[in-house]
Amino acid sequence: MKKRFFALLAVTVLIATGCSSSSDKAVDESVCGTEDGFCIGLVTDIGKVDDKSFNQSAWEGAQEAASINGGFAKYVETQDPKDYAANIALFAEAGYNVIVTVGFLMAEATAVASEQYPDVKFIGVDQFYAGSAANYSGLIFPEDKAGFIVGYLGGYLTTSGKTAAIAGGPDSIPPVRKFIEGFVAGVGYAAKEQGKNFPKASSVYYTGANAFQDPAWGASTAQQYLDQDYDVIFSAGGKTGNGGLARTAQKSGAYCIGVDTDQWGTVPEAQACLVTSAMKLIPQGVVALIGQVKDGSFAGGNYVGDVGAAPYHDFDSKIPSEVKTKVEEVTAKVISGEIATGVKP
Amino acid sequence: MVGVVTKMTKSVMRSKKTIYLYLVILAIAIAYTINSVSTVAVAASSITFGLPLAMAAMVGIMCERTGVVNIGIEGTLLTSSFFGFFVAALSQNLIWGLIAAIASGAATGLLLALLTVSWKMDQIIAGTIVNILATGLTSFFYKQGYSLPAIFPRWSIPGLAEIPFLGRVLFQSGPITYFGLIFILVLYFAIYHTPWGLRTRAIGEHPSSADTSGISVLRIKYTNVVIAGAFGGLTGAYLTLELVGSFDRGFSAGKGFTALAIMIFGRWNPIGALLAAVFFGFAQALANQLMIDGLVNIPGPFINMLPYVLTIVVLAFSAGKVRGPAAAGQPYEREKA
Repeated sequence: MKKRFFALLAVTVLIATGCSSSSDKAVDESVCGTEDGFCIGLVTDIGKVDDKSFNQSAWEGAQEAASINGGFAKYVETQDPKDYAANIALFAEAGYNVIVTVGFLMAEATAVASEQYPDVKFIGVDQFYAGSAANYSGLIFPEDKAGFIVGYLGGYLTTSGKTAAIAGGPDSIPPVRKFIEGFVAGVGYAAKEQGKNFPKASSVYYTGANAFQDPAWGASTAQQYLDQDYDVIFSAGGKTGNGGLARTAQKSGAYCIGVDTDQWGTVPEAQACLVTSAMKLIPQGVVALIGQVKDGSFAGGNYVGDVGAAPYHDFDSKIPSEVKTKVEEVTAKVISGEIATGVKP
Repeated sequence: MVGVVTKMTKSVMRSKKTIYLYLVILAIAIAYTINSVSTVAVAASSITFGLPLAMAAMVGIMCERTGVVNIGIEGTLLTSSFFGFFVAALSQNLIWGLIAAIASGAATGLLLALLTVSWKMDQIIAGTIVNILATGLTSFFYKQGYSLPAIFPRWSIPGLAEIPFLGRVLFQSGPITYFGLIFILVLYFAIYHTPWGLRTRAIGEHPSSADTSGISVLRIKYTNVVIAGAFGGLTGAYLTLELVGSFDRGFSAGKGFTALAIMIFGRWNPIGALLAAVFFGFAQALANQLMIDGLVNIPGPFINMLPYVLTIVVLAFSAGKVRGPAAAGQPYEREKA
């Protein structure tokens, strides 16, 4: 009897939670595949859709594109890399017009799917597309430029001269590597400009099986740096990076730099140290590409999105205005290509 | 004759352990003279990386010693860091968070005990239920935008904290770290030197004999699994309230499973598991430090392999016959007359 009661209770709870998750939207999934339906499906990488980082940015873009174009957007979170193809197929089979896949790791699965479903348009965030299919476009960013800009700022902020970058993923993922190497180059540029002999900025790449998902690793690694008097820490890479930011915030006098989006809002626990974030304007890129799909100009290939540094927020008054001016100048020069980051693509 | 031989073997074994200890101290001393800052940082990091694994391994040890296989440690960690974080964030009070974490950890223990001890469900499946439930509930109710008022500060122990090397590595830590380390030592003592420990081990090895000798098998199983859950809750509190200061979905990132490996590596012995965990933490910290200093130009993937390679090497040398508690995994049922 007791067992039955518990089972009943469990089922009720599950049903209750299940129901409340479907929110009331003007358009629903039933229009997908029909003449006037415009449906956007988003498949996340193994990070989650609320990772406060690239998955979340892409999802924001997809939602915005849906509201601009009067469409419907839905996401699926990938739990295991084995499911990339299955998750993509989920949307493709349901008649979705656009499928956004997020993350470099999904490039291969997306390329395969783009051949399998020629009528569906694919947008691969962070995926460099070398093929020629007209229905697959890679949304790529010059991460090295974003890294360079925040590294340049870091080079002016450090007092110990020791700066560090923590990567939440391995260096075999180009966007991760480019952020980090760009940062190192930016610090070096600032040091040279000031005539200071800082050691080369240090960097650590995540070593385990839970890339982008291990905040405790990020925090412990940040602590290892802080113990050695590093005072500017660029912590990049999903939740692993967020852990590093949160930990750095505990040490007074240390600065941290976020990644992908303006993490001031997404990681409030890091506000004590967060001077800026190396941003990729992912939502804008996603919106632009989906706009192309809608107006028929989508042609495949690669689309290079914009990058930049996030606002300083509370640090605005603490950073000397001449430094701010310099960062602005360097930002313009780096983006125009006048200053080369020297990071290999 | 046989007695003498055993005695000699024992003393050799003991001296072998002493030799290892001296080797470790020597290595630390050499490293410290070469570069004191890096050595201290690596040693401190070994503790930060290793402690959550060691604490989580204690959950496994307490459960398995009493005959319950607990693969739900991951779920316990996740649940307790979830409650720890949100209660602390909403009440803006770390102590409430700590209490909530311990209580929710104990609740997962109680659930596991209910499923495995009372209802005699397959223990692997019961542990999986805990994990799935934890993942589902914490993901579903997770909300962005909350933050803690602070994290548990480090307490420098007067006098001890000034000791070179050991001071920073051990005596400038947070409260949960101290408590966790003390608990591990106490657990070791309790398992091998108290009546409770004897009863617990008896139940883990041969529950019906224990029952015959008048030990209340079910009650001790319940107590141990719930206490283990509460300690798992403390581990979750460590992760969120002392180490990181935030919470994310999937926050525990597999530490509960690694802890099971640590438990076996440490041969179901609290001190053994602590050493195993610190060793694993050391491998991780060393890999990091090699990249931090960038002194040696080893390709990244090789450094990344380091923790795993070191573990395999040590296992190959140290592993002898490893045997867990005999009755772990079997529900206990009195024979009906």
